[in-house]
Amino acid sequence: MSLQTITGKRVGDTYYKLEHPSGLTVFIYPKENSNSTYAVFGTKYGSVDNQFRRSDEDTVHTVPEGIAHFLEHKLFESEDGDAFARYSKTGASANAYTSFDMTCYLFSSTENVEASLEILLDFVQSPYFTEQTVQKEQGIIGQEIRMYDDDPQWRVMFNLLGALYHTHPVKIDIAGTVESISHITPELLYQCYHTFYDLHNMALCVAGNIDKETVLRLVDRYCKPAEPFAVDRVFEEEPRSIVKNKVTQALSVATPLFQFGFKEEAGKNRKTVKELAAVELLLEILASEGSPLFRELQQSNLINESSFSYEFFEGPGYASVIFAGESKNPDKVAQSIVKEVNRLRNEGIPKEDFERAKKAIYGRNVAALNSPETIANCIIALSFSNRELFEYIDALAEITLEEVTASLQTHMLEKYAALSVVEPIIPMEESKQ
Amino acid sequence: MSEINQRVVCNGVDFQSIQNTNFKTMRISVHFMLPIDKNHISANAVLPALLCRASKQYPDYTKLSQRLSELYGASLNAEVQKLGDTQLLSISTVGLADQFTLNGESVSKELAELLCSIIFDPPFENGAFREEDFNQEVRQTIELIDSEFNDKRIYAKHRCEEIMCDKEPYGIPRFGSKEAVRALKPNDLKEAWSYLIAHARIRIMALGNCNPDLVFQGFQTAFEKVDRSQVVTCSSDIITDVKEIKDVSEPMEVAQSKLVMGFRTQIAAPQKEITAAKLMTAMFGGTPHSKLFLNVREKMSLCYYCAARYNSSKGIMTVESGVETQNIEAAKNEILKQLEEMKQGHFTEEELQSAKLSVCNSYRTIGDYLGSTESWYISQIFMPDMQTPEQAAKEISKVTREEIISAAQKVTLDTIYRLVGTEEE
Repeated sequence: MSLQTITGKRVGDTYYKLEHPSGLTVFIYPKENSNSTYAVFGTKYGSVDNQFRRSDEDTVHTVPEGIAHFLEHKLFESEDGDAFARYSKTGASANAYTSFDMTCYLFSSTENVEASLEILLDFVQSPYFTEQTVQKEQGIIGQEIRMYDDDPQWRVMFNLLGALYHTHPVKIDIAGTVESISHITPELLYQCYHTFYDLHNMALCVAGNIDKETVLRLVDRYCKPAEPFAVDRVFEEEPRSIVKNKVTQALSVATPLFQFGFKEEAGKNRKTVKELAAVELLLEILASEGSPLFRELQQSNLINESSFSYEFFEGPGYASVIFAGESKNPDKVAQSIVKEVNRLRNEGIPKEDFERAKKAIYGRNVAALNSPETIANCIIALSFSNRELFEYIDALAEITLEEVTASLQTHMLEKYAALSVVEPIIPMEESKQ
Repeated sequence: MSEINQRVVCNGVDFQSIQNTNFKTMRISVHFMLPIDKNHISANAVLPALLCRASKQYPDYTKLSQRLSELYGASLNAEVQKLGDTQLLSISTVGLADQFTLNGESVSKELAELLCSIIFDPPFENGAFREEDFNQEVRQTIELIDSEFNDKRIYAKHRCEEIMCDKEPYGIPRFGSKEAVRALKPNDLKEAWSYLIAHARIRIMALGNCNPDLVFQGFQTAFEKVDRSQVVTCSSDIITDVKEIKDVSEPMEVAQSKLVMGFRTQIAAPQKEITAAKLMTAMFGGTPHSKLFLNVREKMSLCYYCAARYNSSKGIMTVESGVETQNIEAAKNEILKQLEEMKQGHFTEEELQSAKLSVCNSYRTIGDYLGSTESWYISQIFMPDMQTPEQAAKEISKVTREEIISAAQKVTLDTIYRLVGTEEE
């Protein structure tokens, strides 16, 4: 068991990585001047992992939509009380989240860090599900789902994913539906738990005011060697094409919202840090607040500063470039974006725009290292996609105009674009403001 | 955490700084405070964003944005909030510390200068804000007001506070009404700007990895040209008695209903009892081991969230929850029942200790984040003595059971607001 030291020369920080004999990957990022310590214990298991086959079995299992998220809620309960009650003795602020491709349990704490870390390592490894507790949670999560049903940002995103993807489970709501979660049973929860909460499929990252010896001692105590087995995530074939190029839903909103997305080539492997850096830079050049596109959209009163955004959204088997915001005329925004992409492709990216974007993105990524929370969440997400934090920052600092130009040729192709709009139920002028 | 340093720039303008080279960034901000006034709230509210649009040197939004990008993705932000019956207008800039730039540029010096320049020397044309900038900001403010309607949790809370405080300045929305924003003229903004610079109570802050002396000197020079002889006083109405409970239901086509209950706490800054009120709120509904979480959510399975929040500037507490329409009354009754438990002192020593640990933990985390540090000190601007988060944590630890009960007993229901979903399940 050897401890790997990882240093970011540009940022002057160091952290440690260890492949623990139990199978768990451990990251420790000490920040001795920090008051708090932030720990995240996660598994590479999210809402898209709906169909799977274990290497020690032949059957492909299909489980209800939303079960990874349901499991996240239920894991807080053990036979002898719930994890929040245990954390209440240490003062730690604890939480958890489930995304498309991972589930993470976390806490932030300034005192009793060691005791909090023990609780984290223990409860995540102690499943306890009964008919009664599952039923209780169906009410709570049912209300979480209903809350998201009213959330226009959430709806406009999933409507877009539904327009882009034919079969890929990324289009399914992370929490599932009130109907789908009604099929969840303790047995199904145990089955998913024992498949995906194997330490070989998990990672721990602790950032902040803590030393590596403390973390390693606790990992030794709480993490026992697990049987290594592989999980095959089964995805149906996803065509390259999109499903439809426009989708609209009416909700109680005062102003229309949109997401305009380009479905990108996803492939079997996750994108490398270089590929990611190239797309991130490309988007900054294309659509940041100083760009010609932003200027045109703003001057035409089509977007506003507080809501317009863009991202490269990618995970296992899916990748898209997504623009989002509020607009009185989303169709026009989409047209302008396509036009500007084509113009850039024809005319080339000006060197000064490239240099400026590079500095901006580099600066923002270094700035993010202030926060133990950001650090821990980034490292764990990067580790599940075989990437490393400082390599990513180096890739941003070293990227060339040629690489970004090459990325522009293969991304944001018009034939793979779809527009999702959430519009007001009643015409805007009549609505109650 | 490094020491906080306080100086006076001029009458009604103070300067606080915490230099801390452990951060990779610095944050410089200017906060203007004025009493909320229905006739001026909208012009004031549009002003910070308008000032952030351009400077003399970078005279349009694109050029200024490009310059911020060159400065390693620095940001310039405008914010409008209410601090009790006071309108709080903030302009802040965040940037990378000089030591991390790729070519040895000084980001902090330039950002400090930029901040002074946009505030004191806007790019006026013919003595007024340029029409194009003005029109953009008015449109975007109206869209921002609309977007607050889109988030039903925020919308319901605002509605409850508006109804509850309809006779107090706090009841006015932070941007004023849409109609008032729409009716603004460029000259209103010019007048608001002149008034703000001369008469607002002002706090300047420089936090993190930068040299605060340079920032201080820049502002000192800038304020030399301003007549600061008359500065406003800000105070809040603290309502202590409720004559009649307001009960309002509004239907809307949404899946989930929202219940927001507004309470008067009779305790507000600068009273020292706010410490007990904060802790009482945490025990009642501020943590995952609070009475509301354990009962309304975990035991009765009625909701995903049910949380209490205390506003110490205004002396009010709100409880928010999202529930099925047929469960609104059950949730409301349970919330009131749990409040009664607090008033009767039906809580264990463990509950008290847990709440203390939890609040202390959140206070001690503040120093790790420049934005949280800024909010912490701004929220105390009208307190006679400033407390560091550590001092406040020590005060929290000393609160007794009796003080909690006494704070709870002062809590009186004022307003029940229901946003009733009319969509079929």
